[in-house]
Amino acid sequence: MFERSWTDGLPVVPPTTERVRKMLAGTSRSADEIVVSVPPNLIECSVEKIAINAVMAGCKPEFLPVVISALETICTEEFNMHGVLATTMSVGPIFVVNGPIARDIGMNSGINVLGHGNRANSTIGRAVQLVINNVGGGGPGGVDRSTLGHMGKQGFCFSENELSSPWSSLAENRGYNSSQNVITAFTGEGPRLVMDQKSRTPESLIRTLAEHLISTVSSRIVVGMDAMLVLSPEHSARFHEAGWSKERFLEEIAAIMMIDTDNIIAGSGGIEEGLPAEMKGMSLPKFRPDGLLLVQAGGPAGLFSAIIGGWLNGPPGSEPTSKEILL
Amino acid sequence: MHDIDDIERRGIPAVMIASTPFEDAAQKQADALGLDVARVFVPHPIQDRTDGEMYEMADLVFNKVLDTLTR
Amino acid sequence: MTNEKVLLDPTSETAPSERSLSERPENMDGLTVGLLDISKGRGDIFLNRLEEKLSDTGIKVLRFKKPTFTKPAPVDLRHEIATKCDAVIEALAD
Repeated sequence: MFERSWTDGLPVVPPTTERVRKMLAGTSRSADEIVVSVPPNLIECSVEKIAINAVMAGCKPEFLPVVISALETICTEEFNMHGVLATTMSVGPIFVVNGPIARDIGMNSGINVLGHGNRANSTIGRAVQLVINNVGGGGPGGVDRSTLGHMGKQGFCFSENELSSPWSSLAENRGYNSSQNVITAFTGEGPRLVMDQKSRTPESLIRTLAEHLISTVSSRIVVGMDAMLVLSPEHSARFHEAGWSKERFLEEIAAIMMIDTDNIIAGSGGIEEGLPAEMKGMSLPKFRPDGLLLVQAGGPAGLFSAIIGGWLNGPPGSEPTSKEILL
Repeated sequence: MHDIDDIERRGIPAVMIASTPFEDAAQKQADALGLDVARVFVPHPIQDRTDGEMYEMADLVFNKVLDTLTR
Repeated sequence: MTNEKVLLDPTSETAPSERSLSERPENMDGLTVGLLDISKGRGDIFLNRLEEKLSDTGIKVLRFKKPTFTKPAPVDLRHEIATKCDAVIEALAD
């Protein structure tokens, strides 16, 4: 299977008729239903084709609805998976699952949430990437032109820790309610740690987070790229305990991340990269409104959070996209 | 490539210009489309070039581009 | 052979039908060439030069620009180009 370019480089589970039949039992949708048109070759893809790739990725049948919905979020004009695939930047689709299904299928939102070791987290994103490769025809070195890539392109899917936070979830911020099963796709890099073990007040910690977020992709890029912030339980608690709402957090961090363009004009600080000279004297936000996606997840101990840098946002690039998961 | 494919489907001769690291990607996409899309490649990189260098690059491939559009 | 040995094909199982390029004119005399800018940095400068050189040889040039290099051009734009031009040059992908 590797020699036929059917894999991502790791061993896969052979998709026998029997295994695919069992996989298909995980969804109420019929095997021959065409659910998406897969880029880059825009191939119409049935539930069965997705099931075959889900078997190969190591999914359990109950993960299949999440895999199908993940594909429904990215195979859209707004998410622009073709562009995400073809870019030389180091990004891939990243999925956040909200709602009861995340707990029902045993997804990890705790220790090592952005890492390995959980079957659902490890295989759902992998199945999606296998579909892009095998059905859509988009693999590394072909249409995928990423200069560096990142390990999350093997498949990057995790869930939010919704139960132990007083704040609304990512899905709720995007217009869903807490009883709905929702998947959100974001185009992003690999995660990067932010350490702050000393801040005891929200006013101090938020400044640390902002300082690191400003450097995502390039500290000389403003408004153009989104980011995801994965706030750990201990960092979240600093804000919860001080009575901050999520809305307040997002407002205050946006206010801190207003950038004086004089500092990032091309040539300033001896750096040729930067904004054109005519943009001097302005104050611009690092992210567009709603361009910072906040997710709460991670293990109970550790005063660290993680930043996931994005890609070109909005209509010119990729829009974060959510869909309700159809069981 | 999808643009060129679409324009060619409408019966209009078309050519794409890209930088050399994209030769194999273009080949793969052409294979997938079933159309040997006319294409011309210029030296990489592009983003750090001066206007003068961009002009030289255009001069370099001008005749080649016209050749792909005529018999 | 039992079913356990049969693997299902994870690919699209489709092969594109091979097509040939549109018929090319003998030369460009009296024709209109569309220059399609994909909206990537520096491409406009490159196309400015191509426009100069095409105009110098008496070829009529029309300029078009798609909104973003990351997506195919909108269908309306492709239609407009096809109705106004006899040939198209798209640049510059890097």
